Parts: sequence; structure tokens; C-alpha cells
Amino acid sequence: MKITSSRISQLIFLALFIILFVNTEYRGKDEISAAINSFFRANPLVTVSYILAVKAVAILLIPGIMMILASAILGRFFCGWICPLGTIIDLITGKIRKTAPLKFLKSRFKYYLLFTLLAAALFNVNIAGVFDPIAILVRALTFFLYPLLGYTARSGWAGLYSALGEKRDYLDPLFAFLRDYVLPFRETFYPLAFLSLIFFAGILFLERYEKRNWCKNLCPLGTLLGLTAKLSLFKRIPGKLCADCGKCKEVCPTGFDRDTLQKSDCILCMDCRLQCAFKRVAFPFKGIPSIKREKAGDSQPVMGRRVFMGSIVSGFFLSRVFTFQPPVQHERLLRPPGVKDEKDFLKKCVRCGECIKVCLRSALYPDYFKAGLYGVFMPVIIPRLGYCEYNCNLCGQVCPTGAIPNLPLEKKKKSVIGVAHLDKNHCLPYARKINCIVCEEHCPVPEKAIRFEVVEEKDHSGKTVTLKRPYVVEELCNGCGICENKCPLEGKSAIEVFAQRRRLTNT
Amino acid sequence: MKRRVFLKVAVGSCLLAGIHPKAFAQSPSVVALAEGQDYGAITRNVISALGGMERFVKPGNTVVVKPNIGWDRKPEYAANTHPLVVKAVVEECLKAGARRVKVFDNTCNDPRRCYENSGIQAILKGLKNVEMKHVERERFRNTKINGSFLKEWELYDEALSADVLINVPIAKHHGLTGLTLGLKNMMGIMGGNRGYIHRNMDDALADLNQTVRSRLTIIDATRILLDRGPQGGNLKDVKVLNKVIASTDIVAADAYATTFFNLNPQDISTTVAAHKRGLGEMNLSKIKLVKA
Repeated sequence: MKITSSRISQLIFLALFIILFVNTEYRGKDEISAAINSFFRANPLVTVSYILAVKAVAILLIPGIMMILASAILGRFFCGWICPLGTIIDLITGKIRKTAPLKFLKSRFKYYLLFTLLAAALFNVNIAGVFDPIAILVRALTFFLYPLLGYTARSGWAGLYSALGEKRDYLDPLFAFLRDYVLPFRETFYPLAFLSLIFFAGILFLERYEKRNWCKNLCPLGTLLGLTAKLSLFKRIPGKLCADCGKCKEVCPTGFDRDTLQKSDCILCMDCRLQCAFKRVAFPFKGIPSIKREKAGDSQPVMGRRVFMGSIVSGFFLSRVFTFQPPVQHERLLRPPGVKDEKDFLKKCVRCGECIKVCLRSALYPDYFKAGLYGVFMPVIIPRLGYCEYNCNLCGQVCPTGAIPNLPLEKKKKSVIGVAHLDKNHCLPYARKINCIVCEEHCPVPEKAIRFEVVEEKDHSGKTVTLKRPYVVEELCNGCGICENKCPLEGKSAIEVFAQRRRLTNT
Repeated sequence: MKRRVFLKVAVGSCLLAGIHPKAFAQSPSVVALAEGQDYGAITRNVISALGGMERFVKPGNTVVVKPNIGWDRKPEYAANTHPLVVKAVVEECLKAGARRVKVFDNTCNDPRRCYENSGIQAILKGLKNVEMKHVERERFRNTKINGSFLKEWELYDEALSADVLINVPIAKHHGLTGLTLGLKNMMGIMGGNRGYIHRNMDDALADLNQTVRSRLTIIDATRILLDRGPQGGNLKDVKVLNKVIASTDIVAADAYATTFFNLNPQDISTTVAAHKRGLGEMNLSKIKLVKA
């Protein structure tokens, strides 16, 4: 069997992607490899939408900029050689019987999508990450497939326990490898798992209409790369289907919609070269292409002025549609540590789910609508489900755009997520005259942001009791949420964290 | 038992008995105390002062060593049992012929971080027949306790099925109970919503310790936490004592450890409740102190 170099490269990068994904996890070291988020940092869509939204360039984005330059020289190789979602599509598409291509996707739809997203970013609403292929893949893995894998393996293992009891320990060395290196440590399920799955499954479903349907007709990252690829110095020859054969049209996954190869769609898989019976196909260096010649024999839907203007308008509307934020829920909108300004965070966050994947204690969850529709898939802390570990700053380390700043640990400990408030109608020593102070015990701040006072009181039966009553020192509280998480009251916690990103008092 | 093993044990115990004849007296309760900067050595000394690990661990036994690994703190912060103390206890168990030694705790912070930063996981790495696994939820067994406060609770199966359970707490301050010592350290075998027992800690701990007995309690007071316990985080609250104590009587061990904090046993209500329950001696004048 003949295999292209691009296929080998695809498999290597898919393996790399999975290894990096699985290792986005605490493994006994406080620092996590900077390579973990490389698929996002070398992602031009992330880069461009960040620059448009924030209106500045960050050092973190350099790999993305390099990728744009590389595409401008080599062409759209990312899609055919690297993109793990593309690889997955290629691996399964052979098993899916094709019907006719969808007509409405054959217009300029993808350009409208890309430029609407970019225009919205320009108007300060950066939702490009929702449609970014790598983000779609990571979200589907993080929120759905990986927890499912963990759940399946663990229930099997737990099932063995009910069958074998402690004798299961003899099998432990077999399970240990899975547990230590493959499975998620935490048994967490995520909201929006279904939506993440719908995106991913939808892309696979599109394959029943034509090969690489998503990549060719929708993917905003691919479209962006396709635009830069028009400048590329390499060009396939022959540029058209040969009159005597025309097999390239069947072989090609993307570029031969018509008789002329669409340079912006060619993903350089070079399968045509491998398959060509006459050895006619080559990808020689052609020098800087003349745009004019390019346009001549070209009937493809181009990126014209109309698309551009239309996208600016729709991007503007889109950005206004997404800006509503419900004020009541806002107070419980707890962002990861170090995030100071909500607006800034909204602009920078890719919604890739890396922080949620790495979060030690499952504090972070993808948000539905707490921050309005705009905030969908973005990370929020739900303290009742998990708290922010005091000595951990992994989320800042894995964030590809610095939306969650990568703070030194000492700074992260002092950065304020929110402030805890006691509910005295609920808290045991106040409401029921019973001792507790579990919150005080767990408060990780060395000077103690939760302290207690000792009082003598008569309980409800008239007996004098010595009570330790907790109180919060707001100047010290960083809102990590361990108190809310550990409060032993069932149902509503008697101490809850409310958003507050700056200290109100002088510090 | 092989003849050679028998002779070893017999000769060994006779020798030890010769050194510390008082150690074998069944009553009163004996607390062994050792002091020094070699934490491994002083731990071994208190054990041999009580008659050696052979007295507690028989060849082929499965032993649970239960340190305090509750917090994501480095050893110098005195929030977890010192790794050298744990290692010495584990090695003594192995020397006594333990088939398997299991070390674990149901931690308060992230279990991976606690195991790592306590230094205990690293120091036990590579020891044969020693395992230090994270607790697995399915292994908590709903257990009848029939105590005055706890009627039943989820307890860890390995603690329940072990032939010998050795309780290795660290002595430190605790907001609610004043101090946390041996009795309180047993909370680490509990599952479920443990914070619930804070509403009646004295009875809950007596109930728990009545159900699951520590064969031996070794309290790490190499450094103790004087304030803002049980997790501390401030080196100013830590005092280095270089001491380890041990006793087969958990209440006596706890009672004696209160003196490290310039307190009396009766100041700590969990100790008092356990004593009243008949779990051990708390009257210092009735406790025999053996310096090792």
C-alpha cells in the first residue's frame, strides 16, 4: 500500500495532539510543559481574532504569526499535514457513503462566516473560538469523550471490586498504568458536554455529503489559511484536470471542485501525485504568483468587496446580539484566578477548554449563559463542585492567549476570584448553636481569611454552650471557594463566594 | 513459624526486655518518648522501647500505616506527618515480617498534591511490598458503628481488613478541637461528608476509635504546629521539638502530647471523651513514661 508523507505527518501530529491532551494534567510537578497548548498558540485563527479584539500583539502569539507566514510560503499545509480534526475526518470518511454535496455551502458561505467572526472580534466580541476546529476537538474530548473513557474504565474497575473485593489488588499493576498515565484523575462530568459533542459529531456528519466538507466549506481556520495560501510559492502542476484522465477529481479531498485546482482549497496532501498513473503531477517552486493570472481562469467564489462589507455589517450585528449580560447571575460569575477584567477576558478567551481540562479540583466548568450568550464555553468556577487549589496555577500556565494570566504562584495566591460571605441564617453555630467551623479549618490562607470568635450562648434548649463562630476577613479572602466546597451542610452552602475581582479595601 | 524466625524473635524480645523491663508491664499505660535530630532513629527507638515492632506485627501480616497526609504542605510546615517518621515505621513493619504495608490518607486538598508535597510518596518509592495508593471511592464500606453519635459510616476497607493498624499522626493545633492527635487522625479512614462530624467531634471520634482500634499510636512531634492548624502554612507557627512518642494506648499518647503545647489532657475535649469511653488513660500521673 502506498502512503503519502502527508498521511504519516498527520498521524504523527494526531498522536502528538493526543499525548499533549492527556498530559494536560497535574503529574506531580507544579510546572506544566509549555508545549501543552502549542496547537492553540500556533493557530492563526486564534492569533488573528485576538489581535483584532484586543488590538494588540502578545508574545504568546508568535507561533501563530509564524504559521501564517509559513502558509503564505508553503500553502495550506496545516490542514493536510497537521490538523488533528482533519486527520480524524480523513480516517473515518472512507466509511461514510457520500450523497450529493450541499448546495448552500458552495457559495461564499465560509468567507461570510470567517469575516463575520473577525469583524465581531473587531467590535470586541471574540467568538472565533466557538468555531475553531482545534477548540471544537479539544472541547469534545475534554467535556465528553475523555470523561466518558474515565467513567467506563473506572466503573469496570469498581465492578471488579464488587466481584472480587480486596482480591482485586492482585490486578492492580495492570490497572495502574491506565490510572497513572491515561485516564483522567478526576471523575468529573461537564455541562455543555452535549453541545460540544454536537459540534464534533456534526462535523463528522457533514462527511456524508462530501469529503472534507467541514474543511472545504466551513472551517474558519482553513478559510483563513486558504486566503494566505493564495500567496504561496508552490503550485501544483498541472493546474487543471487532464482531459485524458481526470482522476484527480476523485482523489482530491478538497481542491478540485471544478476543473481547475482551487489553490486556496488545496491542502497539499499530494495524494494526487502518488495516485497519478502518468506521473504528471508535481508541486514545483513557482516564485511569487501574479494575482492577476490567478484571477483569470478562475470561477471560484472569491473573497470580494461584497463579502467584506457584508461581513462587517453582520459582524457588527452579531457583536451586539451577544453582548447582553444578565446582572443577577453576574455576582456568581467566578472567573479563574488572575482574571481581573471581565471584558478583557471575554476578548482573549479561546474557549479551548484547556484550563478546564487541567484544573486540579474540577473547579472550572464551561459556562452556559452566566455571562450572557457571549460567555458560552468559557470557564467559570462552581465552588460547590470544586474549589481553586491554593498552591496551583496550572490554568494560567496552559492558557494559550494569556486570558488567564500565567502568574507566579505567590501572586496567584493573592489574586482575587471573589469574596466569601457567610449566611448566618444557615450556618450552624449561628442558626442552630452547633459547633462546626469546617470552613475555618480548610481556609488555606496562612493568616486565615476565615477566623472564629468564641462565645458563650444558650442553645435552643436553654443549655449554655461554648460556640466557635466563623467570620470572614474580606481583606485576606481570595475567593478560592474551598469553604463553600467543604461546608458540610447538605444542599445550599452556608458560606458562598461572590464575584469581586478587586479588593475594595486598601491593601 | 520457622525455627530460625522463632529464635530470632524470642532472643530479640528477651534482649529488648532486658533493656526495658518496664515496657512489658501491661498496666499502667506506657508512653515511650525519644528525642533527637535523626527522625528515623528516634522513631525506631520509641518502637523498640515498647518492645519492638515484632510485638505488634507478625510475619505475614498486612499492615496499614496511617499518617496524616491531609494537606498540600511541605514537611517543614508541620501540617503532615514527617516523611522520615513514616518511612521508619514502614521499614520496621517490613523488618518484622509484614507481607504488605499500606500507607494512605483520605486527604483534604488534592490527593496528588498532598501525596507529593508531604514528601511521603517520594520517600516510600521503591520500597518493596509497600503501597501508597490514592483512596478509591468504591472501597469505602458502610460500617455499623452503633456509637453514641455515629450509628454507621463509610470506612475504608483496607483499614478494616488490615491485621495491624498503626496510627502515625502529627501533633498540631486545630481550630475546633484545640489539638489534633491520634484520635483525630483516624478521620482519614472515613469517607462521605466528614465535615458532618464537626458538630459533635468528641463523641464521633470516640465512636470511630472504638470501632477501629489503632494497635500502636506513634505521634510525630519532630516539629509541631502551634496555631492556625490543622493546615498552617506559616513557619512562624511551627516549633521544632525533635520528639516522637509512641504508645499502644491511643488516649495516653494523645494525653502526653498535650504537654508539648503547655496544655493539660483535660483541655482537649476529644481526649476526655475517649477516656470516659474507656478507650485509654489520660491521667498523666498514671501513665508510665519511658525515655528511649
